[in-house]
Amino acid sequence: MAASQESILAEISEMIRAVLADFAPDDEITMETTFREDLGMESIDVVSLAGRLQTRYGDQVNFAHFVATLDLQTVRDLRVGQLVEHIAASLDRVGAGQP
Amino acid sequence: MIVRANGIDLHVELLDPSPPGSDVGRAPAPAADDTRARTPSAAGTPGPPTAVLIHGMASDTLASWYFTLAKPLADAGFRVVMYDLRGHGHSERPRTGYAIDDFVDDLAALLDELGVTGPVYLFGNSFGGTIAFGYAIRHPERAAAIVAIESAPPTPAWMARVARGLARAAELLPRQDAVAALAAGRREGFGRRARATREMLAATTLAEELPASPLPDPSRISAIGVPVLCVYGAESAVAQLAPEVARLLPQTRTVVVAGARHSVLVDRSETVRGLVLAWLREECGVAPAGPVPTHPDHIPQEVPGWTPPSPAARSSSATAGAAPRSSPT
Repeated sequence: MAASQESILAEISEMIRAVLADFAPDDEITMETTFREDLGMESIDVVSLAGRLQTRYGDQVNFAHFVATLDLQTVRDLRVGQLVEHIAASLDRVGAGQP
Repeated sequence: MIVRANGIDLHVELLDPSPPGSDVGRAPAPAADDTRARTPSAAGTPGPPTAVLIHGMASDTLASWYFTLAKPLADAGFRVVMYDLRGHGHSERPRTGYAIDDFVDDLAALLDELGVTGPVYLFGNSFGGTIAFGYAIRHPERAAAIVAIESAPPTPAWMARVARGLARAAELLPRQDAVAALAAGRREGFGRRARATREMLAATTLAEELPASPLPDPSRISAIGVPVLCVYGAESAVAQLAPEVARLLPQTRTVVVAGARHSVLVDRSETVRGLVLAWLREECGVAPAGPVPTHPDHIPQEVPGWTPPSPAARSSSATAGAAPRSSPT
């Protein structure tokens, strides 16, 4: 896992714990952690997390549009790693576009 | 994000129109000479048109829209507004204030807070559609068009059905055995939603207040002059309301989706998406980008006045993708 992905994962983990509050898991959150099975998050919770991430990353990552392309079945199977990879790829694109 | 409106905190999600150059069409704001829309001019309102997506009652949240129609509408050029109704999802849950007018007041206050001034395209799923009609009745100058999925305007017949549904939920959900029986054959997650609904009905006066909502005179419903699209599932009893809706609002385009149930928006989102985009293009002059998605499985029946399908008609349009019909209770 690239270094940037590692720091993004750490940041997302913190946000997930904030969203889940008392229901946050004791175990470490990894790239393979699934939102529904492992974290017990409903689709509406994933939407809320998307909102927080958008606030954090601003124009660099179009998070809402990425999540909205998923359907309800896909979002049930969504892994934390998929979000991390999307953010990392978006940040790379932004970085590559800068002089 | 959280927006304070009408005295409570509402969970709101926005999708901006997909950026220009991403090969998408633009939805025009309703023009002054657009007699079809019969809405006041939005010429002084710069920016893209707004679509407001309203979810259903008791066990629903904005996620039903977020993962079905929100992105296609943003791609069609809309600024998309979604919110959790009071008492639902991540919005505040006051104990009281669950009559139709309370929900309409919330919506009006929310749009004010968001600075939305032009006429909006209202989308409602199940009871969310009733809130959309209720908003159009009280704020006719602010409605551009209405899409109602498995819904109806606030009529006595529809509200009686809503009352029966809520009474049944209030009676059955506290019983574990009843929940287990209901969950059999349903989608994964039904039990979890049932628990959330039970908690909500226990914590609020919704089950008593909503059915007792004051209803508008039918003439006020008929005064809604904007284009209306009503989508029903052929296997849902709500489709029986279609003829009355067509009588009250003759401009309505009614589509009954073969093999679909009350959850047609989620179960058959691709079909609904195709129907909505086609209707926006044909009735509202909104041009979606690219070909309207179709699915060979889906053979929607378009009927001006809905008549229940004969067994033969049902089987001829039976779809491979249709969920097996469960028979709870």
